[in-house]
Amino acid sequence: MTVTDTSPLDTGRGASSFAAALHAEWTKFRTVRGWVFGLVLAAMLLVLFAYLTGNGQHSGICVGSGQSGATQPQCGQGHPLVSVGPGGEAVADSYYLVGRQLRGNGTITARITGLTGVTSNAPANAAPSLARTRPGLAGWSKAGVIVTASTRQGSPYAAVMVTPAHGVRFQYDYTHDVPGLQGAPSAAAPRWLKLKRAGDALTAYDSSDGTNWHELGTRTAARLPASVEIGMFVTSPVTFGGLATSATATFDHVTLDGRSLGSGWRGQGIGEGPPDFYDVLGAGGFRGHDSAFVVRGSGDIAPAVTAGGETPASLLTQALVAALLVIVVVAAMFTTSEYRRGLIRTTLAAMPKRGHMLAAKATVIGALGFIAGAAAAAVSITLGRHVEATNGNYLFPLGALTEARVIVGVGAIVALTAVAVLALGAFLRKTAGTVIGGIVVFVLPAILVVPYVSGASGSGGDPSVPLWLLRLSPAAASSILGSLPSSSQVSYPYTVGNGYFPLSPGVGLLVLAVWTVVLLTLAMGALCRRDP
Amino acid sequence: MTAVLHSEWTKLRTLSGNAWLLLGVVAATVGISAAAAGLTHVSGFTHGGDATKLCLSGVYLGQLIVAALAVVAISEEWATGMIRATLAALPRRISVVMAKAAILGGLTAAAGVVAVAGCLAIGRLMLPANGLAPTHGYALISLSSGTTIRAAGGSVLYMALIALLSLGVATLIRDTAVSIGVVVALLYLPPLLAQIVGGALGRHIKELAPMSAGLAIQATTHLRRLPIQPWAGLGVLAAWAGVSLLLAGVTIRMRDV
Amino acid sequence: MIEAIGLRKRFGSTLALDGMTFTVPAGRVTGFVGPNGAGKSTTIRVILGLDAPDEGQAFVSGQPYGTLRHPLRHVGSLIDASALQPARSGRNHLLWIAHSQKLDGRRVDEVIELVGLGSAARRKASGYSLGMRQRLGIAAAMLGDPPVLILDEPFNGMDPEGIIWVRGLLRSLAAEGRAVLVSSHLLSELEDMADDLIVVGRGKVLANASVEELLSEVEAPAPQLVRRRAALEDVYLRLTGDQTEFRAGSDREDER
Repeated sequence: MTVTDTSPLDTGRGASSFAAALHAEWTKFRTVRGWVFGLVLAAMLLVLFAYLTGNGQHSGICVGSGQSGATQPQCGQGHPLVSVGPGGEAVADSYYLVGRQLRGNGTITARITGLTGVTSNAPANAAPSLARTRPGLAGWSKAGVIVTASTRQGSPYAAVMVTPAHGVRFQYDYTHDVPGLQGAPSAAAPRWLKLKRAGDALTAYDSSDGTNWHELGTRTAARLPASVEIGMFVTSPVTFGGLATSATATFDHVTLDGRSLGSGWRGQGIGEGPPDFYDVLGAGGFRGHDSAFVVRGSGDIAPAVTAGGETPASLLTQALVAALLVIVVVAAMFTTSEYRRGLIRTTLAAMPKRGHMLAAKATVIGALGFIAGAAAAAVSITLGRHVEATNGNYLFPLGALTEARVIVGVGAIVALTAVAVLALGAFLRKTAGTVIGGIVVFVLPAILVVPYVSGASGSGGDPSVPLWLLRLSPAAASSILGSLPSSSQVSYPYTVGNGYFPLSPGVGLLVLAVWTVVLLTLAMGALCRRDP
Repeated sequence: MTAVLHSEWTKLRTLSGNAWLLLGVVAATVGISAAAAGLTHVSGFTHGGDATKLCLSGVYLGQLIVAALAVVAISEEWATGMIRATLAALPRRISVVMAKAAILGGLTAAAGVVAVAGCLAIGRLMLPANGLAPTHGYALISLSSGTTIRAAGGSVLYMALIALLSLGVATLIRDTAVSIGVVVALLYLPPLLAQIVGGALGRHIKELAPMSAGLAIQATTHLRRLPIQPWAGLGVLAAWAGVSLLLAGVTIRMRDV
Repeated sequence: MIEAIGLRKRFGSTLALDGMTFTVPAGRVTGFVGPNGAGKSTTIRVILGLDAPDEGQAFVSGQPYGTLRHPLRHVGSLIDASALQPARSGRNHLLWIAHSQKLDGRRVDEVIELVGLGSAARRKASGYSLGMRQRLGIAAAMLGDPPVLILDEPFNGMDPEGIIWVRGLLRSLAAEGRAVLVSSHLLSELEDMADDLIVVGRGKVLANASVEELLSEVEAPAPQLVRRRAALEDVYLRLTGDQTEFRAGSDREDER
């Protein structure tokens, strides 16, 4: 007999047979031109739709960094500005400061005996004006003492403050928040605040009587210049309903220990002007001298949760749906073509381990889907940013880490959807059923939620349907695009319509993964049980 | 022509899958409408919203199954090679396509009548329970209203036209999966595109796209806000279906099988 | 060597295999013959681990098919020559099968040469004639240079020249010491080529013997060519006479 059975390796049987199955399935995929074209088409559609989304926005907002002081030269007149905080995130930074320069270390102490204010009742389409107000404050109106690296917006800072609804707070660098004494300040229950600078460390204290001090915490993060701005500040954000407010606080017992430059306290509005994106109610101001002041201000010092523009992630909302539609067709063809002509028998005669066959197929389509999705998302974001800049618009800054998460997430959504439809195909074995089923389960929910997510829904209908789709259907994974920061420091409707998803990105992706795993299990069961 | 019709009818009738698909059209349409009606409460409904359109919203899903039925009716003939037998028996190829169109259109319309009747019944029974009742200014769903009849009858025609459009596309493309993909893309992608580009261009896209124009027939209120008027919209879809069938007729004559 | 031991399989109300038992020895061409619906294709699918038998076992080289590592290096098979992705070229079809067995493109080109597919191998499979598909299927069976070959109806759609070529190929493969199982529903296709015949009907073996033994059952002396053919046909018809399930009908019955 001239025939020998050549099997050089006897160890690692499983791995080796899986590797061969993987190689075979990859060869299968790449040798059908239509499938490769479909994959490329999916990526191209994603980029095209993202490009059109970026190009379609003309109500732009400019971005600038308070630290570098650089604003984008493309920004035309009248484009509002969102500051960027020390962590690269978008921030609101507008307030009225009564301060002076502090050289080296020092401590500021003040007592606040009252915090009152007014809320705009101008119509929604008119600019807020002090002429049309009613009494009332936002829950997060703030008055207190602050140390900030500079008066440029987005500077690192620390502040201890009173609020109408959240008691005394120690906040620093926009995203950090420590609670202190409960309750709002009043003449009967005044609040004493103290902020101490020692090098880069800023320590906050509160007290109800000025003798018993309680330490709230210390900020040590970013380096501070030798000379910092120190003083009293007041600011007052828009309400939950979107109305601008203005707050007035009464300070007394103001003392400053340390070497200060200049002569006396100076009033200064930070980010109150029109270039800033944040709605303010009138200009701030102060009266008083020595140790007693009344200060009025409007704005917010907090994460910017929204600025009405696009984010690199929201560019992909519709684009992802278009790509998924094509991927469903490709993945359905990749499996059901095996069953159309009995090719599955050749396949299983060559790879008798059915689990390996399914796993190899899933790996091939999953890996290709991931690469196509992630690459297209990366290109889309770069292209989108370029287009927006050319048009004088801006993309809400997300930070590199969030952008990377979005890119990987889009790849994962495409991959998981492809694998799920592949499994559905192995289970149903029929092309038409798999394509329709794949579209109904994996694309239609996304299509249905898109108008709500992109805020384009002006029509009637109960938002509970899209909310449930975003929780339970595979469309939950689109929460990976929910990249706007939400903050407990900002009272804002964090709704789907404003770009906030009911699930966190990881959990949303997990929901899709569960769908995929369930379908894979069904497919595996059917594949092992049935004769092909 | 009667022989062609008869043979195509026999072909469709003798595949049990087709009966299930037609049943699926009814179930999906009525099911989604019921879900939409059940989940909508008057408090979350835009004031003066369109209750009739709401209870016909199942067409949005039902049309997918219509598309699948129509695509499979022709593409599987190519997949199995049966098309050669068909065209050998009936050499007048265009009449084969027309016969398929007539029978698919008729069957879909029949399923559509059942589905739409179910949707209206559901609207009549379920909506008042959620506050969409005359006490809140919403008339009961009733066939005595001319606009409701237009929306209901138009939805039936809409489904039949979707069947014809899908048949045309599948005759051109021949592959089941790709044909379904193209039909779904034609239906669902233009509205997304219109959202993206917005403005006048977006409105034009909605005027010309088969689904957004065709479904205008379901509107009974705020007709002025529609991108296109109901009958004109259905006419746009009819044009799409007509062009796709025309191209299908030309290609099936010109190309080798 | 192939062993089938007591294979039983039921599809709904139809008993497809009813205790199918036989052995296919190395170095010989074994004809697997019987009327349509006799269970030939089902038996082959069970041997290849595609269909699970309700009862019984099948072994290839002493092992169940599913436990073979790189099975196509042990058994080459042709089940359904038209099971091809139409958009893929014949060469690429062989290439993915080769990759599943850790073989490379060189081996693919060798078997393309062996079956005489030549330049047609780079064309899309949708344009292949039935005969070309059969050659491609035989090429796929030969990829792993296996000691056992199973061919289900390899002569379907072949021109006379092709039939002669297949016969010669199978004879030479058996002469190299391989076990070759060839199924057909036409005895005439197997004559002059098979060493042994397994005659099946209604899911079981009716006769399993060498051609000479079968002939000796008929009291016809002087086995000249014409006589021999008539005699063999006679034996076959006598064996399967009351076993034929479908006098007229589709031969796709066992494909479900």
